[in-house]
Amino acid sequence: MMNSISNVEFLNELVNQICKVQKYENISQYQVAYEVDKRDVHRLLSTLKSHGWKQLSYLSAVDWIEENQFEVVYIVFNWDKPVQIQIRCRIDRENPSMDSILPIFPGAKYYEREAHEFFGIAFPGNPDYKKQLILEMWDDIPPLRKDFDPSAYSDRKFTKRDYPTDYAVTSKDNQRLVKREERKRRATALRGGNKQ
Amino acid sequence: MKSTKFTPYTKLSKTETDRKWWEIGDFFRRNSLWLLMYCTGCCAIELPPAMTSAYDMERLGMGPMATPRQADILLVSGYLSLKTLRRLVYTYEQMSEPKYVVALGSCPINGGIYHDSFAVINQLNQYIPVDVYVAGCMPNTEAVMNGFVDLIGLIKSKKANGWKEYHKNNDWFKENQITALGKVVIDDEFHQ
Amino acid sequence: MDDSYYYLLVIGGSAMIVNVLLGVAIALFAFVLQTGVGGINRKIVGRLQKRHGPRWYQEYIDIFKLLSKRSVSHGWIFDFGVIMALGGIIGTAMFMPLTSSIVAFENYDNFFIFVYLLAVGMLGMAMSASGSGNPWASIGVMRALTTMLAYEVPFMIVVLTIVNLSGTSSISGIQLFQQAAGNNWYLIALPLGGIVGFIALMGMLGKKPFETYIAPAEIASGPMVEYGGKQLGMLFILHEISVFIEVSLFVHLFLGGATSILEFVVKYFAVYTLANLISNVNGRFKIDQVVKFYYKWPLLMAVTQAIVAIYLGWVI
Repeated sequence: MMNSISNVEFLNELVNQICKVQKYENISQYQVAYEVDKRDVHRLLSTLKSHGWKQLSYLSAVDWIEENQFEVVYIVFNWDKPVQIQIRCRIDRENPSMDSILPIFPGAKYYEREAHEFFGIAFPGNPDYKKQLILEMWDDIPPLRKDFDPSAYSDRKFTKRDYPTDYAVTSKDNQRLVKREERKRRATALRGGNKQ
Repeated sequence: MKSTKFTPYTKLSKTETDRKWWEIGDFFRRNSLWLLMYCTGCCAIELPPAMTSAYDMERLGMGPMATPRQADILLVSGYLSLKTLRRLVYTYEQMSEPKYVVALGSCPINGGIYHDSFAVINQLNQYIPVDVYVAGCMPNTEAVMNGFVDLIGLIKSKKANGWKEYHKNNDWFKENQITALGKVVIDDEFHQ
Repeated sequence: MDDSYYYLLVIGGSAMIVNVLLGVAIALFAFVLQTGVGGINRKIVGRLQKRHGPRWYQEYIDIFKLLSKRSVSHGWIFDFGVIMALGGIIGTAMFMPLTSSIVAFENYDNFFIFVYLLAVGMLGMAMSASGSGNPWASIGVMRALTTMLAYEVPFMIVVLTIVNLSGTSSISGIQLFQQAAGNNWYLIALPLGGIVGFIALMGMLGKKPFETYIAPAEIASGPMVEYGGKQLGMLFILHEISVFIEVSLFVHLFLGGATSILEFVVKYFAVYTLANLISNVNGRFKIDQVVKFYYKWPLLMAVTQAIVAIYLGWVI
């Protein structure tokens, strides 16, 4: 009976044999993450597939706008040795393009269409990555980028209901206002895990 | 008191006869409303208790129907993304008149918790005419039943005229739909 | 000489008119009875599910509401098919005897006339459903015809046994045979045949588990998918009258008919309520399960019953 500690060790040996791992993160007993160079991704994925990691669970991207890079993430899963692997690779943000993994996992067709639609990443090798999948008649920059402002878009396109101000403030003391400001200040100070 | 044998019989004018026929039709229409089970968003989870033995909807005469052509009420339950709005406009125009729209939840009123999203519309009233709003996020099932009873009251007092407004102000509705959707009828690979 | 021919024509014609009026009255009675019984059944089913059901006159309100809506038409075949189906079914209902003595057209209440005329209703609905151009409608019509193919065979075998034993195929004749002294109802005399007849009745009515041809959430109610407003109201009236014809066929063939209208209404109500209660606790078959079911045990029971009753003569 295989316990999963030896699964992860087996995996570590396998991956380090194939290519150079830039960063390794052991998230839990059943999930690990490797960050590799973008040219090694295809070799790594096909070797992993031949060793049993046959299911592509997810393909998406993270927008690191300060470092001016996109991070494309592939998540693959094995049903016999249950470890979920995240393969991360950084690509350039100005002209983002990543070779398509359609020959290895044919189901990546729709994931790449979605990543193109929401981030703008091109996938040469996938014949129809430009077709629209989810957003119909979209007229702005790809929406999941961090420099897209969803509330400005919403205010521009959909009007808000205006409520008539038919009430009046009757009491002169503004204890409530003071208490509310105090609450807001405390909530902002606690953000990010800072203790008071 | 005048004897009825000699008072002349006054014939009702055409508008009055039409109104009386319409009132009889209103009695039948408000006592047997058929719902289209179009569960758009999260508020649809309030419909199973309303339909089954908990808060029985059938004693009001309402029942679920499978297609828009057979239904009277279009129940918009929850938020509407742009994709769903396009299909909702198709569905609304397929229903046979007179038809009513009931909007559940606060998302059709002013956007709800998705008011600053790029894909969810804020006000349903601009695209199709709405008769009854039921506020809440999500409303209690008793509030939903109350909304239906309010709709029956509106039909009785002849105020549920959303479908007539859609015909009268069709240009305004169409203009709003085109602003939001671009084009109402499109072809894509899923439509062929 | 010419005067006597004229008087014969008038008497013959007026006798014909009385029959036609009686037939129209029977069709109207059929509609009123079935709509009322349907509403009461909805209330019974509601009470069974521990809730208050709708009002007992809810079905009337449904039909009149549908007739008061503006409807959408898909062309003349669509409209014409519905009218043809409705006219065919009303014509069929005019031939049905209510009791053994109330019959509209004396020599024309043969069983095989009903079998032929029921097909006109089905054909009209199939024509108009395919005229609407919706693929769900074609699937529903195909399933309806397949179900008809399935239940007709055991049903026909049992009914031919009955016709053989009674010596006549006129419905009022079969009623009189069962009501004659010393004869039992056919439900008791041919027990296997009675069970097969009841199962075939549930298939004819479209009750669960044989509800495949309507299948509300699966194929968006089958043939009724494109109807709205007035055509749907006419379809509902068609459904009510055809339910009346099928259930009263069962009452006359297996339960000995009736000698008074009250007895007929009581037997009708009992049969329909029993079918409804059984259908309320069942799921829905797939179409191949329907055909396989009907060709297995009911067919076997029907054939056994036929052999036992005709060749061996063991009738209870």
